[in-house]
Amino acid sequence: MKRIYSIGGGKGGSGKSFIAASLGILLAKQGKKVVLVDLDLGASNLHTLLGQRIPQRGLDAFIDKTTNSLEDVALSTTIPNLYLISSTKCSLEIANLFYAQKLKVINAIKNLPFAYVLLDLGPGINFNTLDFFLIATEGLFVATPEPTAIENTFVFIKSIYLRKLKLALKEANMWHICQEEVAQLSKGALKSPLDLINILVGRNLENGTVFKDLLSGLKFSLILNKFRGQVTEDLGEQLVEVCNRHLYPSFDFLGNISYDSRVYESILARNIFIRKYPYTKTVSDLQNMARRLTGEKQQPIQIKALK
Amino acid sequence: MIKKFNDLNYYELLKIQYNASSFEVRQAYKNILAIYEESSLATYALFAEDERKAILGKIEKAFSTLIDDEKRNAYDKSLVDIGEIPKNLLTAKERQKAIPLIQVNTAMTKDNNLARIRKKIKEQGTGKLASVMLNRDFISGQDLKNLRESLGIELEEVFEATKISPTALEAIERDDLTNLPPKIYLKSFLKSYAEVLQLDAKQLVEGYVKNMEKS
Ligand SMILES: Nc1ncnc2c1ncn2[C@@H]1O[C@H](COP(=O)(O)OP(=O)(O)O)[C@@H](O)[C@H]1O
Ligand SMILES: [Mg+2]
Repeated sequence: MKRIYSIGGGKGGSGKSFIAASLGILLAKQGKKVVLVDLDLGASNLHTLLGQRIPQRGLDAFIDKTTNSLEDVALSTTIPNLYLISSTKCSLEIANLFYAQKLKVINAIKNLPFAYVLLDLGPGINFNTLDFFLIATEGLFVATPEPTAIENTFVFIKSIYLRKLKLALKEANMWHICQEEVAQLSKGALKSPLDLINILVGRNLENGTVFKDLLSGLKFSLILNKFRGQVTEDLGEQLVEVCNRHLYPSFDFLGNISYDSRVYESILARNIFIRKYPYTKTVSDLQNMARRLTGEKQQPIQIKALK
Repeated sequence: MIKKFNDLNYYELLKIQYNASSFEVRQAYKNILAIYEESSLATYALFAEDERKAILGKIEKAFSTLIDDEKRNAYDKSLVDIGEIPKNLLTAKERQKAIPLIQVNTAMTKDNNLARIRKKIKEQGTGKLASVMLNRDFISGQDLKNLRESLGIELEEVFEATKISPTALEAIERDDLTNLPPKIYLKSFLKSYAEVLQLDAKQLVEGYVKNMEKS
């Protein structure tokens, strides 16, 4: 089955691109056919993290109709099985795609013939970012274990949640009924985000349940990056516990990724960190994560064989 | 399906079984507080002050009710009356209480029991098997069970030594994802289990959680 993962989170610099690139490489090394899609339009840098120069072609050729196959602009990389759709050539204006263009890109991404599609997103919560994030079969939020980053993550999660709901309401022609409530919810902190659903359920049981199911079907996972042991190891699990208690989608914690100052150095030197430093804690954390995404299993130990 | 926070009963709020032991109630309380208390990073800037206050108030109420036998019985009855939980719950709870060893002098049996387990471990030696298990990336409940059984230790003995309910212990050993306690509680259970079997708690927790997340 094809899997599309989006890698996002409100804050810039939390390590989304580093993680996207690293997971892409590790999955490709497992023999999976992987494509990385750089969707940080206007500030793309995935190629750098793969130790490459600016790619010749990319998403721009698909948007300006030079080609009508997105697969055409998935360029091979120095890693076997790993492909990259870059957006370096997309001008800044393209960051604000027209609606029709956006839909075209979204559909093309959904149809890419790869086993794993990883979407690297930009910071912030503009509609394009949210809509790209929602393409995925599973959304990954990257945060760092600091107060402001956590706060941003909650804002991002709430925005994703409301965006999904809004699109569904529009489709069902019910948006006008709830517009006011949604506007209320968008303000301030994550104030009782279940309320809107409960309002819907209260007004029209059948439809409300539909939306509830729709949101319950979403699957999100959290990654804590640049982990230095400055906070409890349980933070990630506590965060998803909170989300699961108060929101309908299902949230999972994928793990902590250790901080290593050599990540920065290798990016600077255009080295691929996981290639240059394979025996670091950071790489073993990333490896565990990649294994979880592919769901490898191990047999229990046989007592008899040991005795 | 998630219920609105306010509609949760105390057991749902603390995410524990209706027949949870007082150890589990305490553990659950500690864990949920760590999430919702004001200084928690996990809910940083998430709630308005009055919202947090209301949540903490409810948690406090839940704990003080469930930790007190008399209040808990009355509360259980009220839940049965409104049909939230089945009638046979009360008898199920009795059953758990009826395991004789904890009703006798708890402190003493706990020590005796631990001494007995220690002796078995010494005789059988956990050494090789345990180190093979702990050095693996993934540790399953079946691994744990195999180790325990090879030492001749009964599940009830682990229950007596840890006060983790047999239901929870069984779920752990069966890798029974649907009946496992929530992950934040699970970790402290695994730590207690490791202590009883004199294993490295950190390695066990890491390996078990990794294995669980894969499935
Ligand atoms: N695990 C890590 N340890 C140390 N530095 C990291 C780690 N992950 C990312 N970084 C650093 O953080 C910076 C931002 O990473 P990047 O992936 O570009 O973030 P984003 O895509 O979220 O904006 C990079 O320069 C990198 O050096
Ligand atoms: Mg980036």
